[in-house]
Amino acid sequence: MHPIELVNVKKDYLLGNVRVPALKGVSFAIEPGEFTVIAGPSGSGKTTVLNLIGCVDTATEGDVVIASKKTSDLNDRELTSLRLNTLGFIFQSFNLIPVLDVYDNIEFPLLLKKDLTPKQRKERVDYFIERVGLKNHRKHRPSELSGGQRQRVAIARALVTKPQIVLADEPTANLDSKTGQSIIDLMKEINSIDKTTFIFSTHDYSIMNQARRIIQLQDGMILK
Amino acid sequence: MYIFTLIAFRNLFKNKSRTLILGGVVAGIALVMTVLLSLIQGIQSTMIHNGTALMSGHVNIAGFYKISSSSSSPTVTAFKELLEIAKTEVPEAELIVDRVKAYGRVISEMDSIQVPMWGVNFDQEEKNLRRLELAPIKEYWDESFWRQEKADATSETSLKNGERIEGRWDDLNSRGTLVLFASQARKLKVRVGDMVTLSMPTYRNISNTMDVRVVAVLRDLGLMSQFSLFLHADDAREIYQIKKETTGQIMLFLKDIKSVPLVEERLRKILAQKGYVMMEKEAKPFFLKMERVSGESWTGQKIDITTWEDETSFLKWVVQLLSSMSSILILVLLMIVVLGLMNTLWMSIRERTSEIGTLRAIGLQRRQVFLLFLLESFFLIFGGTLIGALLGFSLVELLNSFQIPLTIETLKVFLMSNTLSFEIGWVQIFQVFIIMLTFLLIGALFPIWQATRLKPVSAIQNVN
Ligand SMILES: Nc1ncnc2c1ncn2[C@@H]1O[C@H](COP(=O)(O)OP(=O)(O)OP(=O)(O)O)[C@@H](O)[C@H]1O
Ligand SMILES: [Mg+2]
Repeated sequence: MHPIELVNVKKDYLLGNVRVPALKGVSFAIEPGEFTVIAGPSGSGKTTVLNLIGCVDTATEGDVVIASKKTSDLNDRELTSLRLNTLGFIFQSFNLIPVLDVYDNIEFPLLLKKDLTPKQRKERVDYFIERVGLKNHRKHRPSELSGGQRQRVAIARALVTKPQIVLADEPTANLDSKTGQSIIDLMKEINSIDKTTFIFSTHDYSIMNQARRIIQLQDGMILK
Repeated sequence: MYIFTLIAFRNLFKNKSRTLILGGVVAGIALVMTVLLSLIQGIQSTMIHNGTALMSGHVNIAGFYKISSSSSSPTVTAFKELLEIAKTEVPEAELIVDRVKAYGRVISEMDSIQVPMWGVNFDQEEKNLRRLELAPIKEYWDESFWRQEKADATSETSLKNGERIEGRWDDLNSRGTLVLFASQARKLKVRVGDMVTLSMPTYRNISNTMDVRVVAVLRDLGLMSQFSLFLHADDAREIYQIKKETTGQIMLFLKDIKSVPLVEERLRKILAQKGYVMMEKEAKPFFLKMERVSGESWTGQKIDITTWEDETSFLKWVVQLLSSMSSILILVLLMIVVLGLMNTLWMSIRERTSEIGTLRAIGLQRRQVFLLFLLESFFLIFGGTLIGALLGFSLVELLNSFQIPLTIETLKVFLMSNTLSFEIGWVQIFQVFIIMLTFLLIGALFPIWQATRLKPVSAIQNVN
């Protein structure tokens, strides 16, 4: 068993009474430290795959293995702590907590995790704020930031707990190409230094080509 | 925990208008509740205050004497001995007096009333009786009352707070005198200086009479003033032809009303030990016990220890009625605010579906989502209640300082006071907080529980 593996995964959504098959039997494995892109046209199932790996959704059929555990065997509490301790999630629409400033947003997962002393925590947050280049925006609320800045806060928040796996759903889709490239560079850098596994989705070819591995989706199936 | 508090606070602050509206409603209801609770407490205190001046000590040594098995009189024979026991055994008492009980008709030239009366020793309980204020003349006397003016009926008048009053409590020291309440004087169309006739049925089924002079008229105390008037103890004895050694009841006024149960208990035990025949405890005023006692077969003296609560229990329904009316009102208001709160929470949860999903996706457990929203509701409810209770407190203090006179007769009767009087303390404030927090937090539970059931995937779906 691989640490991350999808085995013949099917996912149907219910739209009213209609079953919409989003994934029609997807299988692949990802090794630790990989930098993987999930590519495919709109509606091909990229978000669905990432949601399943991110343990925020469950498969209709098949097995999803994360950190060597079958997610279907875990209850809500266990899935939540898996998300907290093992995974970092970067959302397409950033999804920051609107009432918290940059510093508090990034610190939040650490407060939930409770494994650092206040001093260590501050050092860690400061390090990542520096890393994403937001030193001068620590006290800003999300509404006071540009899209690129927000996405960088979201990245810092996903990385701050030093998760084994970071998932990013079209992290550059809402950014201009220059900002998008700097975000990708940041992710690559962290991947090579910390050996963090990165899985992200995109339909931007220039970004796709920078990945070491591409999983190509179409109509809920993997294109060989 | 701190971060949850921060998020909760900031969210309340962010949705200012919603917070203000709901917080305002919570505050309004807390205010109404504070005022109502202190009104009820005020009435209760008035009842204790006036009730103990009028018809009962804090604790009484009373009882019945039966000459024959078919009769009963609410008297205590050889009471001096009991008085001594009370003085030595109850150091908590600050005043111990005795009164003779009477019941009969007061007849004037114009009308008559049937009323319980108290034969008092004014010098004994001057301080106690003076708590009852003299009434301004205009409260019972109208120049249009037809009456043949008598020379001796024009008494001295004096001014008090700009109101003309007449008569003096001190005159009750002399025999052949009577002090009654304004409503009674009005009915009888008498004023200070007038003569009236007392007519009391005795146990031999004949009525003894006596002429007495009105020496003072007291301000009404609502319902309570229907049940009392005062005459000289020896006059009462003379009418009933009872001995000087006999009285109606010994009344003990304690320094602290909280020691009532203790004193009651002790007196029961000691008197029983000393060989007195004791009656079973029954929380009723003496006049509601008379009929039953008359039907019992024993003869001689039995001693009954009663408290102010027993003797005024027939007035309790007023407080109970008021409490239940307030409860219903408060309950209805609470229902409205609970629905408002639930609705607001639903709105807020719907708006923040994506935020909740995000928090869950980051790693917030269900119980932590619960805590987050519970905190938010708690702060809102607590803050609203605090403001409402403070406003209520100030309002009550303000109204008290104005001594607002009750102009509606029915209100006077039921509130047993001439002015609107509130009493507020920590107990009332505490009650308001407990009631508000319990009801509203329970109301909040369901929407909050629903928030915890939101799937983390909704963080993504709701945005797209
Ligand atoms: N909540 C849902 N209810 C019903 N159908 C859904 C739902 N989410 C996704 N789908 C459907 O499942 C299929 C796959 O969707 P998914 O969001 O995974 O695609 P995607 O590759 O991420 O597309 P995009 O590039 O537009 O983000 C689509 O046909 C979509 O319409
Ligand atoms: Mg997508």
